[in-house]
Amino acid sequence: MYFLQVALCSRPRTVKYRSFNHSDGLTCVVDPKMDPEIEEMVRIAESCALCRCGCCKDECPMYAELLEETISPKGRNQVIRAVVKGVVEPDGRVARIAYSCLLCRRDEMSCAAALKNADATEAFRRYLADSGVPPLPEHALLLKSIENYGNPWQESRAARKRWAKGPSDRRIVRGKTETLFYVGCTFALDRTLQETPRALSRLMERAGVDFGCLLEEELCCGSTVKRIGQSRLYDKLRAENEKALLGTGAKRLVTACAGCFKTLTQDYPGISKKIKVQHSTELLADLVSEGKLKFGRTSLKVTYHDPCHLGRHTGVYDPPRAILRSIPGLKLIEMKNSRELSRCCGGGAGVKTAYPEVAAKAALARLREAEKTGADIVVTSCPFCVQTLKAAAVQSGSRMDIVELSVFLDGLPGPDGKVVK
Amino acid sequence: MMDEKAREEVRAALVEAIGEGKVMWRPADLAPYTKDTYRIRFEDDFKFFPDFVVLPETTADVQGIVRIASARKIPLIPKGGGSSRTGMLVPIHGGIVVDTIKMTKVLEVSIPNLYVTCQPGITLKELDEKLKERGVSLNQEQGSLKIATVGGSISTSGFSRKHQKYGAISDRVMSLEVVLADGRVLRTGPKVLYTSTGYRLSQLFIGAEGTLGIITEATLRVEPIPEAKDAVLAFYEDFWAANEAAQKTMGSGVTFTGGEAFGVESAEEYGGPREKKAIFYLGLEGTRGEVEAELAFVTELVKATGGVLAPNDAARKFMERYTIQWCGARVATGFEDPLTTYVPMERIAEFYDKLYNEIMPKYDTGPLPGEKYSLDFGRYRMAAGRYFIPKGEQGWEKYQMMLREIAQLATGLGGSISSCHGVGIEHRDNLELEYSEVALDAMRSIKEAFDPDNIMNPGKKLPEKKRA
Repeated sequence: MYFLQVALCSRPRTVKYRSFNHSDGLTCVVDPKMDPEIEEMVRIAESCALCRCGCCKDECPMYAELLEETISPKGRNQVIRAVVKGVVEPDGRVARIAYSCLLCRRDEMSCAAALKNADATEAFRRYLADSGVPPLPEHALLLKSIENYGNPWQESRAARKRWAKGPSDRRIVRGKTETLFYVGCTFALDRTLQETPRALSRLMERAGVDFGCLLEEELCCGSTVKRIGQSRLYDKLRAENEKALLGTGAKRLVTACAGCFKTLTQDYPGISKKIKVQHSTELLADLVSEGKLKFGRTSLKVTYHDPCHLGRHTGVYDPPRAILRSIPGLKLIEMKNSRELSRCCGGGAGVKTAYPEVAAKAALARLREAEKTGADIVVTSCPFCVQTLKAAAVQSGSRMDIVELSVFLDGLPGPDGKVVK
Repeated sequence: MMDEKAREEVRAALVEAIGEGKVMWRPADLAPYTKDTYRIRFEDDFKFFPDFVVLPETTADVQGIVRIASARKIPLIPKGGGSSRTGMLVPIHGGIVVDTIKMTKVLEVSIPNLYVTCQPGITLKELDEKLKERGVSLNQEQGSLKIATVGGSISTSGFSRKHQKYGAISDRVMSLEVVLADGRVLRTGPKVLYTSTGYRLSQLFIGAEGTLGIITEATLRVEPIPEAKDAVLAFYEDFWAANEAAQKTMGSGVTFTGGEAFGVESAEEYGGPREKKAIFYLGLEGTRGEVEAELAFVTELVKATGGVLAPNDAARKFMERYTIQWCGARVATGFEDPLTTYVPMERIAEFYDKLYNEIMPKYDTGPLPGEKYSLDFGRYRMAAGRYFIPKGEQGWEKYQMMLREIAQLATGLGGSISSCHGVGIEHRDNLELEYSEVALDAMRSIKEAFDPDNIMNPGKKLPEKKRA
C-alpha cells in the first residue's frame, strides 16, 4: 500500500492515489480532493490494469487501422497509468496517443466490465491540457476559430444565418416561442449540409411546431472543445450558451446534431434541468406518432447508421427507426453491426482533424458494411457521419447515397403521393 | 538493459532495416508492453520496460530484426495478441518486443487440400470470418479468439472449445515458417497434415512461447462449415452430478464438438431452476441427420443422469453468448488467477478436495463464487477453476507457494500443471515437478540447438539447470 506523487511537466500538479494492490485486493482509493473526472480516469485505468484482456481491441476502429498496442483502449489506459504515476513524461507522443481515440464507446460493448474507456481518454486529454501540454497542431486552428468566431469552421458569426432563407421568419421571439431550434455549427455553416436545417424547419412547420432560431447569435456548444480536453475554453462557451439559451425562455430545445445533443444533455446540467432537450429524431418520432407528420408510399430500401453520440452516448436508437418504419413501403435493412454494436464512421472527437486518413478508412469500412445490406440509401442523423460517409462514398465510387434523416423525410411524398417540398 | 549509446546505435540499425514507422522507442509506446495479464509482484509495476518494440510486416522485416539482435545478443520477445496469463511477454531482461500484430495477411486458402496459409498476427476471429466467406472454418474456438493471434495460439498451444471433434491448434498445424535466432528462415516441412518423413519440427514450436524462433507464416488445417449445428444445455443438482453426465458422454462414443460441466451459485442466471448448482453443455455439428441423432442420444443421456434440459433455443443462445465472453470480468473480481490443470478423470474428486480443503485454506484463500469446479470434457480434459490470490503481507510470496503446491498436487496425480495457458514465468520453476531432469535436459538441448545465445524470450518456459 503506498501513495504516489505525480508531478507534471510545465505546470506541475500533484495528485495522490493509492492503487490496487495485492495486500488489500479490490480497492482503489483516490485523494478525495481530486477532480471527479480525473478520479474516474484513474479508477478506469487501474481497473483495466487488473484485467488487461484486450477485448476492447476487437472492433476498435482506430486500432483496426493503426494496429498499435498504444492506440487500443487497453494500451492507452496503461499510458494513462504510466503518466499519472510519473513513469512516463507527458510529451508530444503521449498527446498523440491521447488524441488517437474516436470516443465512440464501441469498446465498452466488448469489455466484460463495461469500463468507460472513452471517459478516461477524454479526461486524460483534459489532464494533459490542464498540465500545459499544448494541443495538437491540427487542433490549434480549430480552437482558434471557435475562440474568435464561435465556430470551428473559420466562418464569420454572420455566416451562421445563411442557411435560413428569410431569417426573420425563423428568429426566436424571446419569452414567446416554445421551441428553440439549436442548429449547431456544422449544419449551419457547411454548405453541403445546410439542407438539414432547412428540411427540419419545413417538417416542423408542416407539423405546426412553434419554433425559432438564434441564427447569427447562436454559439458553438463546445462539443469538440470538450472532447479534446480544452476545459477553459469549454467552460467559457458553456457559460455564454447557458445565458443565451435560458434567456430565450423556450420550453424545449431541439437540435439535429448528435454532438450538440450529447453535449447539451450531458455536459450542460444548467440547461438540461430547465429546458427539455430533444434530438430532432425524437421530436420527429413524436410528431409521427401523434399523426402530425405523415408520409406517402415509397419503395426505397434504406439502412440506418447510428451516430455514436446519438446511440451509445445518449441511447437514442428507436426514434429514428420508428420514423422510418412508419413510412409505407419503405424497407429498413439493418447492418450487421447496428444499434449498440454500430461501428463509428471515423468522424468523432477530433480524430478526423488529426488523423484524416484513419477517419477515411473507418468511414469506408462502415460504408462497405452498409453496401452489404443491399439498401439504396444510408440514412443517419449526425452532420459528421454524413460528411465522412459521403466522402467515403465519393472516393470509393460507391453507388450508395448518404442522407440526413430530416432531408430524407422532407424529400418523401406526402400521404397524397405529392411532393410536399 | 542497454546504455544510451548502444540504444541509439540499435535504433538506427532497426530503422535502417525495417523503416522508422515500425520501430517504437519512446517511453509512452513502450509502457503497454511492460506486462501481460500475469500477476507480477505489485511493486514491479512498470519495472520491465523493453528497449524497443518493433512492428514487422513481412518475414524479411523479422529477419532484419533478428539479425540485429543476434549480432548484439539482444533478447527478443515475440508477441501475438498479448493476452498471456503466465508472464511469457514480460521483458524481464529488456530487449526488443517483436509485435506481430501487423502481420495479418491471408496468403492462401486451399479448398481441395483444406488448409489456410496466413501470417501470424491475424486474430483467430478475423481469420475465421475470412474463411467463412470461402465456406470453411478454422474451428479454433479458444476463449480469447477475438484478440488471440494465430502465432500466439500456436506458441501457447491454445485450447479450443471444439477440441473433441476438430482438435485444438496443436492438431491443425501443417507447416510453419519460422525465423530462427540466427536470422535464417526455417520451413518446417511441406503443407501436409500427415507424413512419416523427418522429425515433426512444426510440433516443436507449439507451446514454445517464442523461445525457439519467431513464427512468420502458418499453414493450418480447416474444415468445411457443417450443414447443421445444435447444442445441449442442462442443469444438475451439483457439479458432481454434471461431472457424471460428462463422464458418461465421453464413455458413450457419441460425437460432439466439445463440452463443459461447471458449478454455479445458482442455475437461475442461465435460465435454469434456482436450486440447481451445475451446468452441463455441449455442442453438436455435422450433417443434419448426424446432429439430429446425436441430439436425441444426448437428450436421453441427460434425462437418465437426472439433468433438467433447457429449451433448445436457450441452449443455442447460451453457446452464442458463451463464445462472446472470455475474460470473465477480472475487473470485478480483482486479484484472481485461473487453474487450467489436466487431471486424470478418475482423480478429479481427489484433486478438488485437496485443492480446496487442504491447500487454499493454508493461504486464507479460496475459489471465486460460482467458479469452484469446471471440467472441459472431450478429447482434452481440463479441470479448471478460479481462485483469489492470497492477500495481506507477503501476499505475492504466498501466491507463489500456493502455485507450487497446486503443481505438486496435479503432477502427483499424474496430470499437468497447465493445459492451455503455457508456462511463462508463472510455472517455470515448477516444471521440474512435471518433467524429469532427463526430459528437461532434452528440452534444454533443443533450446541450445535453436538458440545457442539464449536471445529468444530468455527466462521463460524452461527452468535453469540446477547446479550439482
